Amino acid sequence: MPPLHGLEERLASWAEFERGPRPQDLTVRLKRVEDVPAAVAELCAAGMALASLVATDEEATADRDLKLRYVFEPASHSLRPLPDMFVTLLASLDPARPELPSIAVEVPAANWHEREAQDLFGIVFSGHPDPRPLVVHDGWPKGLYPLRKRFAAGQRPPVEPGEEFPHLLVEGEGVLEVPVGPIHAGIIEPGHFRFSTVGESVLNLEARLFYTHRGLEKRIEGMTTIDAFHVAERVCGVCSVAHGLGFCEAAEQIAEIEMPVRARGLRTLALELERLYNHLGDIGNIAAGASYHYGTSAGLRMKEAIQQVGERLTGNRFLRGLLVPGGVRFDLSAELARSIEAAMAATAEALASLMERIENNPTVIDRLDTTGLLSLPDAIALGMTGVGARASGVDRDARRDHPHAAYGTASDLNVTVVTESDGDVHARLNVRAAEARESMRLVRALLASLPSGPLRVPMPEALPPWRIGLAAIESPRGAAIHWLRSDSAGRVDRYHLRSASYANWPAVPLAAQSSIIPDFPLVNKSFELCYSCTDR
Amino acid sequence: MDNTAAIGKIVAQAGLLVLLGPLVTGFIQKLKARLQCRQGASLWQPYRDLAKLLRKGTVQSDSASPFFRAIPVLVLAATVTTTVMLPVLWAPAGAARLPMGDAILLLALLALARFLCAIGALDAGGAFGGMGASREMTVGLLVEPAMMMAVFSVAVAGGTTDLVHLAARRGMLPALAWQAPDLLALFAMLVLALAETGRIPVDNPDTHLELTMLHEGMLLEHSGPGLACIVLATHTKQIVILTLVAALFFPLGLAEGSEPLEIALAGGALFAKLFALATFLGLVESSYAKLRFFRVPQFLGLGLVCAFLALALRIL
Repeated sequence: MPPLHGLEERLASWAEFERGPRPQDLTVRLKRVEDVPAAVAELCAAGMALASLVATDEEATADRDLKLRYVFEPASHSLRPLPDMFVTLLASLDPARPELPSIAVEVPAANWHEREAQDLFGIVFSGHPDPRPLVVHDGWPKGLYPLRKRFAAGQRPPVEPGEEFPHLLVEGEGVLEVPVGPIHAGIIEPGHFRFSTVGESVLNLEARLFYTHRGLEKRIEGMTTIDAFHVAERVCGVCSVAHGLGFCEAAEQIAEIEMPVRARGLRTLALELERLYNHLGDIGNIAAGASYHYGTSAGLRMKEAIQQVGERLTGNRFLRGLLVPGGVRFDLSAELARSIEAAMAATAEALASLMERIENNPTVIDRLDTTGLLSLPDAIALGMTGVGARASGVDRDARRDHPHAAYGTASDLNVTVVTESDGDVHARLNVRAAEARESMRLVRALLASLPSGPLRVPMPEALPPWRIGLAAIESPRGAAIHWLRSDSAGRVDRYHLRSASYANWPAVPLAAQSSIIPDFPLVNKSFELCYSCTDR
Repeated sequence: MDNTAAIGKIVAQAGLLVLLGPLVTGFIQKLKARLQCRQGASLWQPYRDLAKLLRKGTVQSDSASPFFRAIPVLVLAATVTTTVMLPVLWAPAGAARLPMGDAILLLALLALARFLCAIGALDAGGAFGGMGASREMTVGLLVEPAMMMAVFSVAVAGGTTDLVHLAARRGMLPALAWQAPDLLALFAMLVLALAETGRIPVDNPDTHLELTMLHEGMLLEHSGPGLACIVLATHTKQIVILTLVAALFFPLGLAEGSEPLEIALAGGALFAKLFALATFLGLVESSYAKLRFFRVPQFLGLGLVCAFLALALRIL
């Protein structure tokens, strides 16, 4: 592990080290929780970035504590090529008085993670700059923490009269508050946006989400692998393959199962088809945000064609049902392979034509350029991932940095990561178009060299007890980090998903503040984040 | 008797205009859909939408005053009244014409309708209504004087602001033969018509995104029959603007008497003109994106400058 050379010495006085969860990973067990900020600072100085924060309630185990796991991954340029590893910083908290210093000021990416752990576990992060509730909304009883093991999932807590949520107030002459949502005019999910404006310019924007928190992480506890998989696959409609795959890979890691090559290829194929239909639809959505009707229809049309071949492959327009822990359920027929090939050819042509029309239409380009700016330092500080991050110049892609499925197993399955530097809507559109082209290339490469072999291997009913699986999957919206642990019976003890949208949402209000109100829908659509991935 | 017949004709052609209004919208929607390779809704969909709204109940914001209920009716009345001032099928030359109002009153009534709509939007107290009203008034500020100037550039040569007289005289007066100022004024009117009919690149009538709305933003608080009135007023305003452009620049085929052949010819000419102008709106709407809001004044400034030049050239 040469890039992190010296880290162990520097942390040695505070911590113990062990390998894991995967052989190449490192777990740093802190002796005192007060040392968390110092240890985090060391990791950040070594070029690591926070990927996820997983809290677990282990009061019923021998440890009798709450544990926090800060999962870090290599991010800095000095570590390139980025090694595929995670460093987990483990802190143990007293369940009677779970309190520790916050790192949100130094690591803004930790902001939501800490607030979520505060709401769902009752952990107090002292010195957090914004300790307002995040996940639980007005009326949720105080002192009731749903992800604690002693909270029974079936209960229906009484609704307490809630105070109005303390939105940040902007004061001054001519400042107008514009509340938008949570119910919107389009068929989208709920989110409340509170604009403080002067005239048409946005002074401040606060986004409030988590209106439909479903408690899926709680629901999944105690389930068998296969049942839990079905829930994970359904966290979100448009990332079904990515989330399903993340759960499968984490479970297969725990079960120590080697995936057959053909199954890997088919999973990669489904993942790329999912990315492709998302990116094509999102290009259409950006056109809709600019009120460019032709582009909207063209985007929808391309998306539909890909969803239809996806349905023939998996039986579902959202590509559900193909994956299963241990492999895939369906094979690819030669006839279907030809259909996918034909769809790729038609889509490549349609995409080229649409992008040419957009680039040659000054009214469209004028809407896209310099709209919704997000700078590279902001993107890094917020821990952004996916298209939004790459459009601001963050050269990261889990397909290359944490190879999963069949990526990197052959030279033509190495992913070319596309970045732009402008960080505006136009850059995000260009990244999407380039990634869609790359996805089509990958699909063709997969179809051309799909290895033969079995589709699935037997998966044990019960997982080996008390093991952790950790997987990073590049979903259409960016890297999603799946963290899974088995319990003593080999069922799910705790599952945590840090979706790409979860990491990216805080960037939307920031980017919107450089725009005028009528441009917000366009800025929002250029990120195209998902609510259900966030409201797990 | 003569007057009664004349009034009958005027009311008949005004009624025809109101009836055809939704069809023009339906046609533009269909054209846009076909240009996007979609099937699109039927030509008659705007009529069905109106019938649906008329059957529905009304929901009103608690903060709205009783005046809010009157707004849709007043907006519709102001807009429908303008239809009697236009030559649609008949344009009798000379004294046979009754004084039913002229171009100045027509534009003033449209401005009144816009004002009422904005007042209603502010009255309901919603944030989107206020934003829509503020934007619509900004656009109105730029469109109305420019449109006045474009109309005057023709009226100055015709010696009257009565649109029916203007249209009837256009073919006869040598001073009204097509000249450079007409081209400029026509260009100005086409630019302004896009804004006045609430279409891309100024406004997007199809959007559901409240934050981007201009005209639609002002309608959000209305519902049921009240909304139907305002929607009908929007359809009517659109066809009035198109007929105004046709009356000023293409007054061909208008009937003088009531011979069936003449009427049929005038009807055909009316359809041809509306078809051409609606196609223009549909094509522009399909080819461009909506402008950034702060670029709208630049775009409308183009119309303003052309209208001003047309008027200046005509007077000098």
